[in-house]
Amino acid sequence: MSVSDLKATSLFWKQVRKNVINWTTVRRIMSVVLFLLAWTILVQFTGQFHQIPTPKAVFAALFQLDLGGIFIEIFRSLLRVLGGFFIGLIIGLPLGVAIGYSRIANYLIFPAVEMVRPIPPIAWIPLTVLFFIEIESQIVFLTFYGAFFPIVYNTMGGISEVDIRLPRAAMSFGVSKLGMLWKVILPAAMPQIFTGMKVAIGITWLMVVAAEMIASKGGLGYWVWYHHTVMEYPMVILGMGIIGLCGALCSVCIDVIGKRFMKWRNIF
Amino acid sequence: MVNPNNKGEVIFEDVTRAVQTKKTETIVMDHCSFVVESGKMTVLIGPSGCGKTTIINLIAGYEKPDRGKVLVDGVPVTGPDWERLVVFQETALFPWLTCYDNVMFGPLATKVMSREEADEQAVMLLEKVGLQDFMDKYPMQLSGGMQRRAELARALINRPTVMLMDEPFRGLDAMTRELMQEYYLRLVEESHSTHLFVTSEIEEAILLADKLIILTDKPSRVKHALDIDLPRPREASILMSKRYLELKATVLEILHEEAVKASKASGKADIDIESGLRT
Repeated sequence: MSVSDLKATSLFWKQVRKNVINWTTVRRIMSVVLFLLAWTILVQFTGQFHQIPTPKAVFAALFQLDLGGIFIEIFRSLLRVLGGFFIGLIIGLPLGVAIGYSRIANYLIFPAVEMVRPIPPIAWIPLTVLFFIEIESQIVFLTFYGAFFPIVYNTMGGISEVDIRLPRAAMSFGVSKLGMLWKVILPAAMPQIFTGMKVAIGITWLMVVAAEMIASKGGLGYWVWYHHTVMEYPMVILGMGIIGLCGALCSVCIDVIGKRFMKWRNIF
Repeated sequence: MVNPNNKGEVIFEDVTRAVQTKKTETIVMDHCSFVVESGKMTVLIGPSGCGKTTIINLIAGYEKPDRGKVLVDGVPVTGPDWERLVVFQETALFPWLTCYDNVMFGPLATKVMSREEADEQAVMLLEKVGLQDFMDKYPMQLSGGMQRRAELARALINRPTVMLMDEPFRGLDAMTRELMQEYYLRLVEESHSTHLFVTSEIEEAILLADKLIILTDKPSRVKHALDIDLPRPREASILMSKRYLELKATVLEILHEEAVKASKASGKADIDIESGLRT
């Protein structure tokens, strides 16, 4: 090892010490530790929660987990989530663009959208049985429905809030109508469109879990519900954790894609 | 400044424009008439909020007059057109495009020149405004002054018949502003466009103008038009010349008269304003 190598390594460790081992990290870890501690105390020292598994029991359940089985359930749920999400994107994005871009489209479409929107998506579960015979289609419809509104609303909002000077400037540069949409309006609305997609993917996870709990057709929601019926509560909590993790990962994926799409926003 | 085609003459003919707010209707412009001569630099000056931006919007075609006509080369303005180009107050660069791509936007949209020619022009203009090392940066990575310079390049590459500058250097610090004026002077003296420059700074107005149009406070009308006969090419040092000072005194006097009238009209403490302006 040469001297410069040594210097580089020591610099590396200095950086690590400075950026990783510091009070901020300690406090962050403490937050998690305190949460687990509060959980344990509530379970062990209060009557109200004594039936709930401790963190330790949940951790122990991790080793009894049938990995192959759980991955199949994750995969099933994920397919439903992504299916609904992409259908929501394919239908919601153009609709949001139309409502945001054209006043006539706004008057024609927006009131109906606004009328249906306040109904919580879960309230649609009974009706979906009438739409589709196949359970798989019913579930995907529900995830689609969950994704639809956040995408439409944020696309619409993003487009109507574009700084007026940008399209005006573009007009002065002689841009065509189509060019205006593709090269000015959509890029300008992109940040909010991605916000909509992030909200949407969160709601699709909510919908898939609710639908699977009722439908008994596999998936993580079903998996959690099944362990509830056989009273294996450590597994229930584990399942909840996995659902949360999947949701978070999907959200991160959208962030990563967003950063690739909008290089100009993360230059610092 | 020569203008071979003799194009880009803007005529404001008896224009009236009112703006409706929720309850009231404000007359922003009342029977306003003036001519922007082709190939020259005309500067509009007036108190802030006197409707200067409205004039720009009318010529650009973003707004329509309620009465009267806005003619460019004898043809009434019906809507925005790339022959009339606006540089806005504060930056309106596309934040998702690099400096270079911003400049290339116009030529690629109109396709009046080939990509190679546009590229050559863009690089040349960016060099001229001192941004050759920042071509690949996004607007957010540039300082305020750099953004304005990029904007100048983005406008000039289109060789518009009429350049409409709506207080483009507003909000810049004094040093940067002076530098911008010098960049701009150099670019203007090479261009064949008609320039209409709106400002509320007397110094800037006289430094840049061939012809100075002084507007009244709301509703705006032409108070006075004045030829600025300072020699070209100009530099900031001209601000020390005797002729400049004479012109400035004239302009100040006219503006002062207007300010007094405005304050009397609105019934404010006009004595304070008068004595304040005299010192």
